[in-house]
Amino acid sequence: MTSRGTPSRFLKSVLQNGVGRYVCQLKRISLVFSKNAQSSLGVRNFIEDGVVDYAKKNPGTVVYISPTSCRIPKIVAEYLNGAVREETITCKTSEQLSELVTKLANQSGLDIIRIRKPIHTDSPSIQGQWHPFTNRGPVGPPNRGPVGPQKQQTN
Amino acid sequence: MSSFTKSAQQWATFARSWYLIDARMQPPGKIATMCAIRLKGKHKPIYHALSDCGDHVVVMNTRHIAFSGNKWEQKVYSTHSGYPGGFKQVTATQLHLKDPKAIVKLAVYGMLPKNLARRTMMQRLHLFSEDELPEDILANLTEELPQPREIPRKLNEYSQEEIDAFPRLWTPPKDYRMK
Repeated sequence: MTSRGTPSRFLKSVLQNGVGRYVCQLKRISLVFSKNAQSSLGVRNFIEDGVVDYAKKNPGTVVYISPTSCRIPKIVAEYLNGAVREETITCKTSEQLSELVTKLANQSGLDIIRIRKPIHTDSPSIQGQWHPFTNRGPVGPPNRGPVGPQKQQTN
Repeated sequence: MSSFTKSAQQWATFARSWYLIDARMQPPGKIATMCAIRLKGKHKPIYHALSDCGDHVVVMNTRHIAFSGNKWEQKVYSTHSGYPGGFKQVTATQLHLKDPKAIVKLAVYGMLPKNLARRTMMQRLHLFSEDELPEDILANLTEELPQPREIPRKLNEYSQEEIDAFPRLWTPPKDYRMK
């Protein structure tokens, strides 16, 4: 679809995250997988090797592991602004999974749609934005009218 | 300034002003360039052709404009009605007598960009043949623009002291006959 038909947003950060301290926006990440299916093999390997290191690297994120009987393993990522992202991870290797999971941790919960401008500023003008009276000064009382102009002195 | 909301700041930046120009004893072409610049919005740093940032311009005393040279007799305004034999050519004097606002209007129309925005800009141009302006337009005016041409003084506008103080180039002999 065209960019006019699809939603778009402006570049922003959640509550100026990063200006002061940085708060990881990923609240909760749940790995839903099956204990015996072939599609969840990568997930199981990831849980053996890398999930504990990942959880230690992201102390603000809670990692849930839920083995259920499901055909397609999923990652459900919940963010601080309430956005929920579900990714299916069938037949992914452990390395791919760790990449995906770090990508989710680096994202904020804002929508993945077209960003209108790659720039944003909270102070767009330093000296003050121009308005019609910047170099004109305030308006004086009107001295014009049906009386006639000052040019006509003697006729 | 930073205490204003974004919408209030935008409203102030894109506000439309009303300018007044007195066309008494002025060449209509110079008046028209001043009008065209302000109708397009080129006097603003926020100008863009698509932003519709032009201002209103009020021109008064269009009846008293002053062409230089022999243009009153030599300048020709042509129209064609569309029908065969409908080509009319009128001198500036004749047109001015028929409609005192037409010369300034045609001059400004020719100086605006030849696109669809021209008609909107012409709607923002207000012409008055004399210096009587209606009250609602008077209330809107923000600035009067200085006249482009300095009006030379007539001989009867000089006082006798100034005439006597003017340096004499030569004294004519007593039997010199002035034409």
